[in-house]
Amino acid sequence: MGNEGQEIKGTGFINRMGATRYLVSRAPQALIVAGPGNAKFDLAGAGDRPQHFYIWNSLGLAPSVGLGLALAQPKQQVIVLDGDGGTLMNPGALVTIARLAPFNLLHIVWDNGEYQLTGGQPTATATVTDLAAMGRGAGLQHVAAVTTMTEFEVGLETWLTEPGPWLAVVRIDKSPAPARPPKDPVWIKLRFMETVNK
Amino acid sequence: MMWTDIVFERLKANCLEMVCHVPDSVLAPLITRAEADPFFTVIPLTREEEGVGVLTGAYMGGRLGCLMMQVSGLGNSVNGLASLAIPYQIPFLMLISQRGELGEFNAAQIAMGRAARPLLDALDIQHFTLRRVDEVATLTDGAIKTAYTARRPVALFLSTEMVGWKKEG
Repeated sequence: MGNEGQEIKGTGFINRMGATRYLVSRAPQALIVAGPGNAKFDLAGAGDRPQHFYIWNSLGLAPSVGLGLALAQPKQQVIVLDGDGGTLMNPGALVTIARLAPFNLLHIVWDNGEYQLTGGQPTATATVTDLAAMGRGAGLQHVAAVTTMTEFEVGLETWLTEPGPWLAVVRIDKSPAPARPPKDPVWIKLRFMETVNK
Repeated sequence: MMWTDIVFERLKANCLEMVCHVPDSVLAPLITRAEADPFFTVIPLTREEEGVGVLTGAYMGGRLGCLMMQVSGLGNSVNGLASLAIPYQIPFLMLISQRGELGEFNAAQIAMGRAARPLLDALDIQHFTLRRVDEVATLTDGAIKTAYTARRPVALFLSTEMVGWKKEG
């Protein structure tokens, strides 16, 4: 996917809230780890559930948490929702996921080319950096990049059924994320663990 | 028994299956043994803070583990400890190879080595130091037990008094 100089504001890119709702409807049993920023806000907006683990800070660690969970629970589908800012904070997670290669991990990166929560400062993906290419360079064997909702819907069927780990870089628009998840970290964790270990 | 034999045995006895690490010459024999033993899942990291995330996910999935690193890696892990492991109450063992103290040759190791304990104190993360082989089993078992009681990471330092130091001048 070439991002060079693309103007993405107001164009037909994917809406994160719509895509999150669709994802939850297609994978209702999956354990979902959502990174800080709008990934976790829109996951809450899709409807708060015990299967969601919301990371309130720790930019960059969502895929690492997903990796540990996927290794510990190989019979369960684990999905990570993160942003371009989180991915750029900890690109080493792509390397470690490629090395351990848990087949039950789907890592979705919502890429809007900006740090949306802090005022829309551009990230490197707005101009020079290609996260899907970084994933392939890290050694990931299953990498997808999509820019339309139809591509996302078709791709998701593959990502959820064919063994991974999958990295899906999803070009999204700049819609805000008004919903908020629960705020007590211990409560979020205990509720999540009860579901995981049921 | 060598300290490595005792730590290896205590990790197994306490079911710390997930071994996250960035390689270190002192820890190398332990990592090599864990790699050869199917009991362990060994996770080589690019940066130590990843290990805080991996062990958080593993713990929530019902598996316990430890993070093996040189003391520099503690510096690389601070925000993960402060923003994830502590507020979400995630217990694990940090096995830290100490640098910057007795016998250090490298000026660039001193400051992080000296800052490690005050930094852990500031985070209210308990730490213990292995100085003699005859204390290794007790301190390792005790540190792991306290981590699970406190629902917090606990650090165990490997002192150069016990493991020796690089002979470089």
